Amino acid sequence: MLILKSIYAVFKREVKCIITNRLYFTSLIVLPLVMITLFTLMFERGSIDELPIVVVDNDKSVTSRQLTSMIQDTRGVGDITECSSTIEANNIVRMGDARAMVVIPSDFERDIVSGKQSSASVLISGANLSTAGVLQRDIQQAVQSLSASVASGRMISMGYSQYQAISDILPINVDMHTISNPYMNYGYYLAPMFIFVGIVLFTMLTTIYAVGRELYYASAEEWLMTANNSLLIAMVGKLLPVAIVMMAIMGLAYFVLFVIMGMQLMCSHLMLLLISILLIAAYQSIAVAITAITANMRLALSLGGGYAVMAFTFSGVTFPVIAMYGVAQLFAKAFPLTYYNEIFINQALRGAGVEHSIEDFWALLIFIALGCVVWRRLGRVVRSEEYWRKD
Amino acid sequence: MKNTGVKIDINHLNESMLRFYYEMRGELMAIFSDSGALLLIVFATMIYSVIYSVAYGSEVVGDIPIAIVDEDNTPMSRSLVNGVDYGPDTRISYETESMSQAQELFYDGDVYGILYIPKGYERSIISGKQANVSLMIDGAHLLIYSHIMKQGVADIFTTGAKVEMARLIRNGVDASAIPSLIEPVRYDAQVLYNPSLGYGSFVMPSVLMVIIQQTMIIGVALVAVRRRQYRVVDAVDNPIITVLSKMVVYIMIYSFTLICILGVIWPIFDFPNAGNITDVALLLVTYLAAVASLSIALSHLFSHRESPLMLLLWSSVPVLLIAGVSYPYEAMPDWLYKIGRILPSSSGVSGFIEINSMGASLADVATEVNTLIVLAAIYLLFAIMCEYRYAKVKL
Repeated sequence: MLILKSIYAVFKREVKCIITNRLYFTSLIVLPLVMITLFTLMFERGSIDELPIVVVDNDKSVTSRQLTSMIQDTRGVGDITECSSTIEANNIVRMGDARAMVVIPSDFERDIVSGKQSSASVLISGANLSTAGVLQRDIQQAVQSLSASVASGRMISMGYSQYQAISDILPINVDMHTISNPYMNYGYYLAPMFIFVGIVLFTMLTTIYAVGRELYYASAEEWLMTANNSLLIAMVGKLLPVAIVMMAIMGLAYFVLFVIMGMQLMCSHLMLLLISILLIAAYQSIAVAITAITANMRLALSLGGGYAVMAFTFSGVTFPVIAMYGVAQLFAKAFPLTYYNEIFINQALRGAGVEHSIEDFWALLIFIALGCVVWRRLGRVVRSEEYWRKD
Repeated sequence: MKNTGVKIDINHLNESMLRFYYEMRGELMAIFSDSGALLLIVFATMIYSVIYSVAYGSEVVGDIPIAIVDEDNTPMSRSLVNGVDYGPDTRISYETESMSQAQELFYDGDVYGILYIPKGYERSIISGKQANVSLMIDGAHLLIYSHIMKQGVADIFTTGAKVEMARLIRNGVDASAIPSLIEPVRYDAQVLYNPSLGYGSFVMPSVLMVIIQQTMIIGVALVAVRRRQYRVVDAVDNPIITVLSKMVVYIMIYSFTLICILGVIWPIFDFPNAGNITDVALLLVTYLAAVASLSIALSHLFSHRESPLMLLLWSSVPVLLIAGVSYPYEAMPDWLYKIGRILPSSSGVSGFIEINSMGASLADVATEVNTLIVLAAIYLLFAIMCEYRYAKVKL
């Protein structure tokens, strides 16, 4: 009973600080909300389509126009600028006003009519991987479907039945299935991780601030007194408010992803709650460890902040971990977010069974245990004045 | 009379130069005597550059493990399997008896795609019908998805074309007419600027520009707060000299960093350097000037040493996105992208990519350069006003 009362006293003291300290309030509540709003706006559309391209139509025939309009009809292509010269088209692409150029040769239709092989050249700007991927796929599809229709016309004129022509042109049909993210929406797979990186960063910084502040401003003694001189009570009462706010922010993030953006949730709410607790706890634990080891709030903020942001690169959201160099792959294992990412994809997006994520759960638990390793050091730092007011 | 006039001017000039020099020295000393500021301003950009280079240095995604479920198990299905294994993007790491076994591997993260060849595949092909296969791909990682898809579809179509060719020959079609039947319209694709579609080459230029801006904003604020805390009243402060001297200091430090990164680190990882060196240098100096004046203006907003980092670090990721490169601007609301232009990084990123990756000239990126010059002028004005107000308050 007394323990609960002391925890509550510390909790109350921390909440009061959150409300009265502008910096604390802003970075714990205001900025995470701003961040989520910003990402929601940014990713709501999510798909990459309607990209501008240039067409140099040297043929200006019915067939070449047909190809142009087939390309325009794909999802990825939007405005088509017609250009008379390749040099001009090249400039437009280089200036970034178009993402690709299609060049149709002057004898395009004549070759097709006379039964020869014709061609369309496509130059895609590789300066942007995402748009290049979309355009490669869509323009190729348009050219191939024109090609297929020409081929079937020829074969029918050779006496094939339409059915036979199609099965000869496309002897193997591929049935494509995408597991998780069925619409291949770009926003769907970027949005979660961007938001989680932000939350993890704020968890890290506010936790370091919560503990480090007591050292920096030499208020650790008063803090411990509120906790009946028990470090455990002092820490629980202090970490809880930050954890609760961050869990609420996590909840908001899930609301944005699964309700506003309409992603499909493939696991139970309880599972979401559990993995969120593990993620927040892991980062709080690391934050406490960094603060205890450095015993210098500003240094801890720099290191912790850098560490949290870096998880973004190594968690494999943008560039897959399996494609990294061996050293980088090892490095990727040093961030709780990497494991959380794996669990989130496996459970929430793919709906795999829990048994497929056991290792990742263990990894998160190990990070949480880190906080206990530095417990003695933490006690020393909090209790002795020589570690205070460090700048 | 004339002499004294000139003399006064020289004295005045000398005095200004001297003050400029002292201000610069003061700022440099403040940076180098504070480990936090030193870490951020001098080392962070280099450390981050190396770390990101290591992460993205391998550039391409290849040999992605996939599983095969071959229920047909005939010479023809085997030749399709071999084709998929042979391609550079995919590799067959498991072959399972059933779909459910393959799915287990998928959920365990051992494979990222499954090729399923149902029974009767060879029979369909021999009897001249259309055969069906299924390709299941993980959609959770976009790069992995597009590589498996590209490779898988290409392999299947190559195999298909061979089948078609065999059928046509069997039907007595002349060999010379076959290409025009298999592919009447050839698709010749070429990728410009980043032919291997490397991820590092794609993302590093924008990351570098953003790191410069973010570390400078936070670093300058850190130093400014400290100098304000410790400085005794200095009655002869000239706001213009103070601001300009700071700008010169930061442009110098970051120019040095950029020379190291672009001259040493990037060549090691073979990141793009298609630009004319003078054009690159001119653009970067303009960029640094804009970022420095923004940083100095913003530094007046902070009163505690811990605030800049806590309030600004998070913005790095949105700042990167809003530049419209790693996340293409076509996919975000137009107004958001336009608002983003008030940040030097947005113009810096697109200008730098166009010059350095795509080989454009300075004239080609006139819009970006002009934007940077206007931004630099506006933020400089703000910075001087803030500094002026601060000097007055202090007196």
